[in-house]
Amino acid sequence: MVKMFIESFKNLFSKPETVKYPFEPFPEPEGFRGTILYDEELCIFCDRCENVCPPGAILFEIVDVENNKREYNYNPYLCIYCGACVDVCPKADEGCLTQVNTRIKPLGNEVVKNKKLGYLINKIENPKEVEKAWRELEIRAKESREKYAEFKKQQRLKKRAQAQKAKETKTDDN
Amino acid sequence: MGNKIVVPFGSQHIALPEPVSFLFDTKNEIITDVRVDVGYVHRGIEKAAITKFEFTNVAYLLTRICGFCSITHAGGYHHGIEKLLDVEAPKRAEYIRLIITELDRIHSHMLANAHVAEVAGYENLFMQGVKDREIVMDLLENITGNRIQYDIYTIGGVRRDISKETAEYIKKQLNKLKDKVLKVYDFYDTDYTFGLKTKGISYISYDDAKKYNVVGPIARASGLATDARAEFDYLPYDELGFEVQTRTEGDVWARNIVRQMEVVHSIDLILRAIDNLPEGDIKVKYKGRPKGETFVRVEAPRGECFYYLKGNGTKVLERVRVRVPTYSNIPILKELFVGEKYSDAQPIVLSFDPCMSCTAR
Repeated sequence: MVKMFIESFKNLFSKPETVKYPFEPFPEPEGFRGTILYDEELCIFCDRCENVCPPGAILFEIVDVENNKREYNYNPYLCIYCGACVDVCPKADEGCLTQVNTRIKPLGNEVVKNKKLGYLINKIENPKEVEKAWRELEIRAKESREKYAEFKKQQRLKKRAQAQKAKETKTDDN
Repeated sequence: MGNKIVVPFGSQHIALPEPVSFLFDTKNEIITDVRVDVGYVHRGIEKAAITKFEFTNVAYLLTRICGFCSITHAGGYHHGIEKLLDVEAPKRAEYIRLIITELDRIHSHMLANAHVAEVAGYENLFMQGVKDREIVMDLLENITGNRIQYDIYTIGGVRRDISKETAEYIKKQLNKLKDKVLKVYDFYDTDYTFGLKTKGISYISYDDAKKYNVVGPIARASGLATDARAEFDYLPYDELGFEVQTRTEGDVWARNIVRQMEVVHSIDLILRAIDNLPEGDIKVKYKGRPKGETFVRVEAPRGECFYYLKGNGTKVLERVRVRVPTYSNIPILKELFVGEKYSDAQPIVLSFDPCMSCTAR
């Protein structure tokens, strides 16, 4: 009985165990798997991160088919923060893809803005449109892949035709 | 003598952490029959594993079957795929895997015990248990970088190393935790009123446990010493002196005590593993693609988890089959209700620590 009272008094004056989360930031430890940041200047566009991503939260859209110009798009609200993309990135040591130990705010009244989060998320203002825009991007990215493949095929055919022509002219000369 | 009344328990209920539906036919509060439905959280994970994901990253999907046993599923899959690819993880990686697995078991068992205490009317004990559990969660977050989905397994090793400072931190925190756990253990063991609510309820005899193929702490509480950690050599448990913890009472109280004993034993195992942590690499490279079939048995916090993998030499596996512990415990759970009071139904269900996300997948 006496032991119990001592325990209750201790609990009355001890510090609370809980964190006042929405008003105070939740403390992240060293090495926490948080947001994934991207540096376009270092990227070699090998597409490995896109292929490995389990939920498909990284998408490269080919905006300029002729010059093979690609845009990195990342959806932090779809990401599962496993860090697989950073593991496969060949330029990860130089800081192309990095996983920092801070987390982004959950999708509330505003969409998070950061230049290192890719193109799409910086274009959207209304948080309700994120999902719709991502769906559209998925279709667009797939179409751009097909277009690029078609363009490559055409180029290959052209090259072959040219080569054949050159050969024919050569044989004619002989 | 009173009418027959059907009382639903679930699919959404304040005492249930996950959706499962029980329909009890009761007569004067005594249960006469029960119907169970476990398929509320079916997500088609086994199908997705053999269609959408390559064998290198299907583990990210499989670990998300369940929050509590995420490391079990990672273990089941990786030990299987390592057998198919014929790679062996280095010793240090095995030890780190063991440490994470046991930490996972500790936090799962502590929450399960706290839940039983809550439905038996001890809300303060629930808070105490969850408060102490936070130490383990912080440790896991420190080592792996996340509280629930650790993702530390990779084919041929682990993804993160344990540094010297972290090892010291783990030791310090676990010694702190052990004192707290022993205090709560003492309470579960000796408290009179808690005993009234839990002792003698839903008794499983040794023969019944064998007949119904019960697994996990429920079987060990009935004296059936079944534990995949001792029977199947997948992590270096033998080197660390693992012992199977059993009781013979076979009721709700005994299951709680078995879980507490396992928590204390797991803490000892981790402390020994950290002291004997071998030096060396944490990862080896692998070659080729999985071909052939294999099976793995790993011990989840709730019992034995069975994995069957079949590969055909391509990037995508041909079959992934998971049999989880809760699934094999449901037949006896159904039998147990008959003849008990409806008021005891909640402690009985919670003492089984059912994991519906695993069962329905």
